[in-house]
This record gives sequence, C-alpha cells and structure tokens, in this order.
Amino acid sequence: MSETALDAGNERFGHDAAARELPAASPRRNARLRALAWRLAPWVLPAVLLALWATGCERGWIAPQILPPPERVFDTFVELARSGDLASNTLISLQRVLVGFAAGTLLGFALGAALGLSRTFEAYVLPSFNALVQIPVLGWLPFLLLLVGVGEPLKYILIAHAALVPVTLSTLQGFRQTPASLDEVARVFAYKRWQRIVYLVVPAAVPTLATGVRLAFTKAWLALVVVELVASSEGLGYLIVYGRQLFQLDLVMASVVVVGAIGYAMNRSLDALEARLRRGQPSAFRE
Amino acid sequence: MRYFRLLKSFFAVAALSLAAVHAYADKPAVIRIGVAQQGNGDPPTFGGSPAATVQLQQSLEKEFAADGIKVEWLFFKGAGPAVNEAIANNALDFAYQGDLPSVLGRANGLKTRLLLASGVRVGIKIAVPTDSDIRSIKDLKGRRVSIFRGTNLQLVADNALAANQLDERDLRVINLDSASSLAALASKGIDASVNDYHLYKLRDQGLAKIVYESQNDGPQFTRQAHLLVLDDFDRAHPDVVQRVVNVLVKGAQWSSDEANRDALFKLWSKSGVPYASWQAEFANQTLKDRNSPLIDPFIVARYKAVAADALKLKLIRQPVEVDNWFETKYLDNALRTQKLDHYWTRYDAAGKPLG
Repeated sequence: MSETALDAGNERFGHDAAARELPAASPRRNARLRALAWRLAPWVLPAVLLALWATGCERGWIAPQILPPPERVFDTFVELARSGDLASNTLISLQRVLVGFAAGTLLGFALGAALGLSRTFEAYVLPSFNALVQIPVLGWLPFLLLLVGVGEPLKYILIAHAALVPVTLSTLQGFRQTPASLDEVARVFAYKRWQRIVYLVVPAAVPTLATGVRLAFTKAWLALVVVELVASSEGLGYLIVYGRQLFQLDLVMASVVVVGAIGYAMNRSLDALEARLRRGQPSAFRE
Repeated sequence: MRYFRLLKSFFAVAALSLAAVHAYADKPAVIRIGVAQQGNGDPPTFGGSPAATVQLQQSLEKEFAADGIKVEWLFFKGAGPAVNEAIANNALDFAYQGDLPSVLGRANGLKTRLLLASGVRVGIKIAVPTDSDIRSIKDLKGRRVSIFRGTNLQLVADNALAANQLDERDLRVINLDSASSLAALASKGIDASVNDYHLYKLRDQGLAKIVYESQNDGPQFTRQAHLLVLDDFDRAHPDVVQRVVNVLVKGAQWSSDEANRDALFKLWSKSGVPYASWQAEFANQTLKDRNSPLIDPFIVARYKAVAADALKLKLIRQPVEVDNWFETKYLDNALRTQKLDHYWTRYDAAGKPLG
C-alpha cells in the first residue's frame, strides 16, 4: 500500500521536474524527493476515493439523489459556511462534546483510580461495570428520555457515558502497571501509601491514561453525532438528519465531511499532546 | 479448462441478460409497494386510508395470485424521507406517500407519477400534557414542540403557525419521529407534540389533551396522501399499473361507504391504533370526503400550494412542476369500468363542491 503510494508521489513529482527541464537529479535532490513522496503518501487514498466518487457520479453508477457529485457537495458546504449555519451548529456540537467529554473523563479518572487502588472496591464494582458498559448508547436512550427529557442534559449524559468507559478502563490498567523494580525501591525507602501513589503509580500510569483520553474523545465525538441524530434541533448531527429528511443528501455529505474533519483534527492534537506527555516522563518509567 | 470457463461465463451472461429482458417485457415477479409509515405488528400493517384497507384485506395479493406475482409491502420508520431514498435506489415500484415528501423527491429529480389520492383532507393535531397551561397555538411561543420535519405534517403545522402570526423560529422545535414524539409527550419531555391520530390513544389514556385540530380550520389546513408509481415501472408494465389502480379504487369505494364505517374502523384497528381513535379521527368528516381517490382541482391546487410553500420555506431549492406530475388515465379507466364516475364529489381549488 505505502509502496504504491510512494510510487505515485514520485511519478507526479517526476513529471513536474521534466516540465521544468532541470538537469538530472543529484543524490541530495533524490533524498528530498523521497521525503516529499512520504508527505504526499497519505493524500493518495483520499484522492483516489474522490476521483472514484466524481467518476461514479458522472457515469451514473449511483443515483445523484443518493450520492450527489463532489462539486455539488462543495457548493453546499460553501453556502453553509457563508450563511453562518455551519459555524453555529459546529459551536453547539463542540460545546456539547466538551462538557460531556470533560465530565466523563473526570468521572472516569476517579472511578478508574478507585478501582485501581482498592482490590475490595474492584471486587464489588468492576463486574457490574463491565456488564453495564456492554449496553450500546442507543439502548439507554428510551430510559434516559423518560428520566431527563430531550434537553441538553440528555446529550451531556450520553456523551459523558461514552467517554467514561475508556478512561475508567485505561486508568485502572495504568494504575496496575508500576514497574516491579521501582516498587521494590519504594519499599526499601519505606514510602508511605500517598508517596507511592504520587511518585510511582501516577507517573507510571500517564501514557496509558493519555491513550485512554484520546480514545475517549473519539467515542465522545461518535456519541455526539448519534445523540444529535436522535433528538435535537441543532448541531452537526442534526444537520445530517435534517438533510436526510429534506432529501438533500448534499447537505448530509457536507456535514459528514465536517464531522470527519473536526474529529480528525481533535484526534491529531490529542495525539501530539500524548507524545509530549510521554517525552516529559522521567526516564526511569520508560521501558 | 480455460475454454470451458469462458463458455460458462458466456452462458451466465446470456442467461442473465435474457432474464433481464424477460423481466422487462413480461410481467414482474414481484410488486414492491413502499409505505411512508412505521407500520405495526408482524407482518406490519397500517390504517387510516384506502391504501391501508387494501393492504389489510390483501386485495392486491388476491388480484395477482393467479399470475404468480408476489406483492411486497415495505414499511419505513423514517416515513416519507426514507421512502424517497428507496425510490432513488430503485428499491420500490409503487409508494404510498404524503404530499410534502413527494414534492421533496420530485424537486431532487425522482421520476414518479401520481396515480390517485388515498387519504385526503387529513388534519394535524397538537397535544399537550394534561396539566399544561397551553390552550391554543398562540401559547406555543417559546415552548419545546416536537415536529417530524420533512413529513407532510410539517407544512400544515407551519401554515397553522403562520395563521397565528408565528413561525418555527418562535418555538423551540425538536425534530422527533412519530413514536419518539409520543413517548416524549407522555414523559413531559416536551411541551407539545405536533402529530396525527396516534395522539388520541394518549388522550384516552389520560396522558395528553388535544388543543388543536387543523381540519376544523378548513381544507387548506389539511394534508393529502397518494399512491405513486415509478416512471420506469409505469413504462414497463402499464397493465399491472392499471390493475393496481383498479384494486385501490375498489378499496376506496368500500372505505367510503358509510355502511362500512364500523367494519372499516375495526379493520384499521388491526394496525395497532384503537377503534376509538379512528372514531375520533373521523368524527366530523364523512368517509367519502376522506377516502376519495379523485384527482380533482382541489388536490391539484393543494399539491401546487405545497410545492410553493416548500420553496418559500426553503425546503426545496428549485420550483417543482405539478401539472404534468399526475397520471390520471388509469384512475379514469377504473372509475368508468366500476361505474363510480359520480360516486365521489369533486371539489374546486378552494375546497368547495363542484357541480
């Protein structure tokens, strides 16, 4: 896969070079070409998909009502952005996801830490927790609708629930992976329990926690869209439903692209944050 | 070995294309009818229109049994909008759908013909919790109101709001499908539900009271439904279309006969909506008025109004041509052969009886 992508990138660049009639590439140029090809590689698959989409629409492989041509989707996107609908709906969605995600993450840290630190608590709570998390978000919906209605709290709860699970599980796991050698050192120095937690357990857990938080964000973002699909009158998920109900699938596609782009951007920033946390960790904890 | 494989694929292609040609020229193996309702039970059924009568009495199944043609009724929880998607995917031959969703489909290039009306002059209802202080449409201002957008409820609701100098932006509209809207109203998660005859059941259970019924304000505050056929199917099988229309006209006649009022509501109650709800729904209207299949000036005017309103409210982006959308030759044939030309009253554009 990456090999073909690389070739395609190289080829594209090769044509450019020929057009400009430059002398044969030096070894240093070659290295730079290769570096460029690596940077282009991730764009090859999207480009192929886009080309397939455009051709499919042009040749009538799919009904244009179901999958509108890319230029139509782009026009709709521009129109959405210009009218301000896109900004207002995105803001609402982001606000929902941030509140729900923050609540779910904090609760998840607390629950995971409690589970990780106390074997007794774990014995009482973990099996029920594991059973409950197997129930999909949609399964809770009728019950929650009855309890809290269709307002904002419903969205916060469902998003928080989605974020809670990965954070709890990764906190629990993180708290259980203090290197045995360091544990021994702590015992020799007669660390108190709080000292052990602050200087050993938490620092050792940081990378696992970071992964959990990143996963939690993905889950929260997905839950947001599901929640807005079901009961809402604003937000990006709602734009998708509204477009479907008005049989304007270009609106659906434009919203889907925005949802994907924002989710990707958030994931990338959390990724970078995670890498920095890892780098900042004392070397004793690195394997 | 290679030649054999080549031969085999050649035969496969030949057989397939023969089958395709055969299916096109001769009778279809199955007639697929989409219904823009969730349906109730197993197999799902519905009520409230002549099309529902035909489905519950299995009249189409009987009509086509001798030819070995199967009849499939496909129900859509997503109602009219979901039916449009199925039409675009060529997954249906006929569809029972409301006025607005079909206009949305036509605006986006779906090729359909409207064959006959089925379920007309239907009102919308607005219900609120029993202890609510909302007494009329005016009181809805600033309240949480559920509307199933994109269905033919929406435009009537918008028009009723406009008659009270309100629009959707003055309310806090929540987009919920029919079943979720009933659940939310029962749990007081919303302040009001814009819905249909399903509300009577909640009212009779003491969970809601109905504060507005649009049909009382005149025929311009009603919604219409129809049976449509996909262009391709119409061109390939005009004889089948004629027979389907014949059966539906017969069903409409049976459903319009006041002598059958009791039997009709009992039949429709099999769809999960109780007998009492149908009694309430039809209390102030004659069966003939509601179940007439006629495409008269009133129906044409209503569809034009729906197309114009949809454009005004930006639900569609280009105007929809209505005049050439109706294909009434099958209906005219059926009325003539069944001697029903004068059975139903024709109405003019304003909803006044003609002649």
